[in-house]
Amino acid sequence: MTENIKPFFLWRHLNKIRWLVLSLVFFMLIFLPFAHVYQTYVASFSYDLLDPSEKQLYNFMEMITSPFINDPALDLDAIKGNTWSGNFFGYKISDPLAVVGQISASLTIYWPFVITGLIPIVLTIIFGRFFCGWICPATFLYELNTNLSLSLQRIGIKAGKKHFDRRLKYVVLTVGLIVSALTGAVLVSMIYPPAIIGREIYFAIALGGFGAGLLFFILTLLFDLLVARRGFCRYVCPGGALYSLLGHFRIFRIKRIVENCNDCAKCNAVCEFGLDPLRDNFGQECNNCTACIAVCPTDALTFNIKIKDEENQGPGHLGRAYLKNNQ
Amino acid sequence: MKRRSFIKDLIAGAVATTVLNSASVEAAFAPQMGQRYLRPPGSLPEKEFEERCIRCGQCGEVCPNRCIEYFNVENGVDSFNTPYITPRSKACILCMKCGDVCPTGAIKPLQRTAEDIIGFVRMGKARVEKALCLSYQGKTCGVCYRACPLQDVAIKVQLLEQPVVLEACVGCGLCERSCIQLPQAIKIVPDHIRAVS
Repeated sequence: MTENIKPFFLWRHLNKIRWLVLSLVFFMLIFLPFAHVYQTYVASFSYDLLDPSEKQLYNFMEMITSPFINDPALDLDAIKGNTWSGNFFGYKISDPLAVVGQISASLTIYWPFVITGLIPIVLTIIFGRFFCGWICPATFLYELNTNLSLSLQRIGIKAGKKHFDRRLKYVVLTVGLIVSALTGAVLVSMIYPPAIIGREIYFAIALGGFGAGLLFFILTLLFDLLVARRGFCRYVCPGGALYSLLGHFRIFRIKRIVENCNDCAKCNAVCEFGLDPLRDNFGQECNNCTACIAVCPTDALTFNIKIKDEENQGPGHLGRAYLKNNQ
Repeated sequence: MKRRSFIKDLIAGAVATTVLNSASVEAAFAPQMGQRYLRPPGSLPEKEFEERCIRCGQCGEVCPNRCIEYFNVENGVDSFNTPYITPRSKACILCMKCGDVCPTGAIKPLQRTAEDIIGFVRMGKARVEKALCLSYQGKTCGVCYRACPLQDVAIKVQLLEQPVVLEACVGCGLCERSCIQLPQAIKIVPDHIRAVS
């Protein structure tokens, strides 16, 4: 019997941890602009001149930050920015797409900036498209949007079933970089949802209104809802294309244990990116979100350290097709 | 009215509105040099700045004066979401934090010393409109001189507090912010506009 092949117990709970991380990132994107506004109030010594609502904000932020810091005007500078480019305790970290887009826009290489993108690039080579599943603030909203589309289907609106060619996003990436080079401006940042969300939340909180980027983001939400499920990430996103290319030979992969599998196909149904875990067909687009591991009723999916996917292992050994053939 | 002429008029009207609309759309997307804005202190020249800036928004997020704002499409698509400062609404206090936080060097990292600021900050240059300035009209004012962070280096006053802008002016805009005249008698001419004209 094959009772001894069991995945490590923690892998089943990684999906909950992932949601925790996504919520934390989104919370930080909202918290940091408020912290910045609070800092400006502190820096101008203007407590007595503030409106009542601004005073409320001041008091609240003072309450939640004072246990951790001495001088808000200086110490809150420790964490700044968003997922597009951030500043953590003096270390700058940038999105690889920002590095590539900036190089193509200026056609020169500015090394201090390339170094800021080094940590994400190395992590992407190891873990593949993990940014899309674990950090991207747009994923947080897109997955909620998927739930919305499922409830729409429950009341009878059949939408979001279209399929396009997955390679479209590589075309978008290439065209975006070429247009950036021609115009001399980092235009990929205009069509990259995490960058848009980071900026727009800041604009809304600190500068008093959303910008034009919000319109684009709402259009992507509608596209996902009505045309193709998670369509933007799968078919259009230039960042997703870059991560997929970098993660082609990733070391950390999800693998199906064929002895435990009973061909229920829940993994295929739950996969946000429309991949095919049931036939061992993960490919470079898998973002290691572990939703399939969490949903598997027979513990047949686990992590594997290997630079290639398994070949198709055939029907699962607990499934009807396999049992009929091997009776 | 005959049906044919009515249809003709309809088509002509539709064509006219389309042409007008496309013209206005083009105007909306073309850079409007009439808009006067400054880039953050230590920025590269305008063209290089647009190439370098990745639109991360950290310069605004670190600005303690909240003077850095961001373009929508009103200044052309090239400068979409790039930072700018409108000195009349809020001027730069030359704290140099935005240069420290900028990841791409679009805003150069500079020390907050007089040598660095005078040597490398090129936001613009103040210009006094003598016909508007109170001090040149026989009343003593001197508010711009007192607002300047580089007094006697970037601006000096003559008899009756008449301001004279010197070569070392970096264009932070605090004088324009503080000018009590309306319209302002002292204005910053941004560096990218000076370079064109």
